[in-house]
Amino acid sequence: MQRTLAPKAKRTTPLWVWQILGVLFLLGLWYLLTSVLKLWPPYVMPTPQLVWEELRYGFVPSENPNDGQLIHAVTGSLRRVLLGYAIAVGLGVVLGVILSANRTLRDTVGTWFTAIQSIPSIAFVPLAILWFGLNERAVLFVVILEGTLPITLAISSALLNVNPAVVTAGKNLGAKGLKLYTHVLIPAAVPNLITGLRTAWSFSWRALIGAELLTSNPGLGQVLETGRNISNMALVITTILMVGVVGGIFDQVLRRFENSTRTRYGLEVRQ
Amino acid sequence: MKKLLFTTLLLIGAASAQKATTVRLGYFPNVTHAAALVGLEKGYFQKELGNVKLSAKEFVAGTALNEAFAAGEIDIGFIGPGPAINGAVRGLPVQIIAGASNAGAVLVARKGTGIKSYKDLAGKKVAVPTLGNTQDISLRHILKEEGLTGKVTIQPLAPADVAAAFAAKQLDAALVPEPWGAVLENRGGTLVGNEKTVWRNGDYPTTLVIVNTKFAQENPELVKAFLRGHIKAVNFIKSNGPAAQASISRELLKLTKEKVDPRVLQRALKRTEITTSFNLDALKEYADLNKEAGFIRTLPDWNTLINPSYLNEVK
Repeated sequence: MQRTLAPKAKRTTPLWVWQILGVLFLLGLWYLLTSVLKLWPPYVMPTPQLVWEELRYGFVPSENPNDGQLIHAVTGSLRRVLLGYAIAVGLGVVLGVILSANRTLRDTVGTWFTAIQSIPSIAFVPLAILWFGLNERAVLFVVILEGTLPITLAISSALLNVNPAVVTAGKNLGAKGLKLYTHVLIPAAVPNLITGLRTAWSFSWRALIGAELLTSNPGLGQVLETGRNISNMALVITTILMVGVVGGIFDQVLRRFENSTRTRYGLEVRQ
Repeated sequence: MKKLLFTTLLLIGAASAQKATTVRLGYFPNVTHAAALVGLEKGYFQKELGNVKLSAKEFVAGTALNEAFAAGEIDIGFIGPGPAINGAVRGLPVQIIAGASNAGAVLVARKGTGIKSYKDLAGKKVAVPTLGNTQDISLRHILKEEGLTGKVTIQPLAPADVAAAFAAKQLDAALVPEPWGAVLENRGGTLVGNEKTVWRNGDYPTTLVIVNTKFAQENPELVKAFLRGHIKAVNFIKSNGPAAQASISRELLKLTKEKVDPRVLQRALKRTEITTSFNLDALKEYADLNKEAGFIRTLPDWNTLINPSYLNEVK
């Protein structure tokens, strides 16, 4: 840790302590409102204890057929989103490169991409069900669609914004055609690409949960729907927490990757 | 002491006088809810309620009706035993005060699947209106009896969407309440399980009348008035076949903007027993099956959940 800027007021307690305190405060508030003051009945707003119980049931299999369902739901959802995301990244890179290389395409198709990106993924679910059936492929379609667009747009704009001096230097050193891309342009676009990857992740994850809700494939979205169907709001809240935690962990990993890359490219000053 | 007396008087006053100026009813546009449809179409409920206004709202599934109940937006509802039990176990303030229909659910297979008996369901995809609902529990019971537990994919799907899913070959069969069974059969589906073979020789409740416990305690007279209307509707359906059919048809047309084929309606009605009573043993078995399926962990307290006193007083 080297400090290059003026030293800030020194924090005596580390950040993670504050983060834990924040969570404890929220838990305490929740406990106070639901368990102590009983502002709402548990079928409207369950207590932390009820949610904790659901969490335990969800992860500890027993003779009850629904116990341990969160393990299957999390692994099922992750498998689905990772597959969809991987395909989206591949497609997005290819489409982004093509788009950046062709001005006509950019002016025609490129503008639709931005428009499609503004449509919530859930709007595509009814169509996806008709095209692919009430199955996993319908969910994957929505996940891929949502993931591909931000990557395509990030790559094409990154490639267009590569410093002309870098391109000239590369050309002078003999890079042309495909080599110009693999040796000069794409490496130069990496920081933007990673930002695109992170955006694509959160888009894909949200699209997945929404599509699972509507198509009832075994996953977190479906557990949420089941919780609703059997009037179990504790299960609904437990599932929402799981969606947030899993999505958040991946986002953090990608964010670190993004920060380290940007630092490596000299775009961020490490503090 | 004076204060105590005053509060007591106030409480007595509250208990005897009606508080509500509106009775809010929830029901589904299904043949299994025929008593609600006819009661509304013929104005039976409103006539009995007199100056108190009846406001009726339609729902597509017990899930949504339970949510409206939880939010305090509905006072009286026609609902299946599955959601009624699930809601009660979570602490929803509901009481079952009467029956509305028995049987009236059938298992229909898509043409070309070769499904002729329950055994043929192995490895197939079968739809029910929602997970944990009445038909879902019946289906789980059938699968258990046939030794097919875990060998069939149970797909929650709104009954109105089943025909489209059949056409797209995305589903193999569906266990649905009437008139949807008759509609699917009319479009070429094969009847695999009729209303009697689905469960208990047809003696199982499909629709019950529930009331918000607090509303009932505060407005016992309104609950009784409503039940008088309910009895009239049930009796009308039982004794006036074609006229009841016409009444149901008119109400369904108003609600769904779709004219139901009279033959479909007739067949659907024949498979449904419209009644004010229900089989308590069957209801208890529902709860046991719900628990076995993992949807509830405790059984409801039957003494508080079932309250036949209002019905007994007006019968």
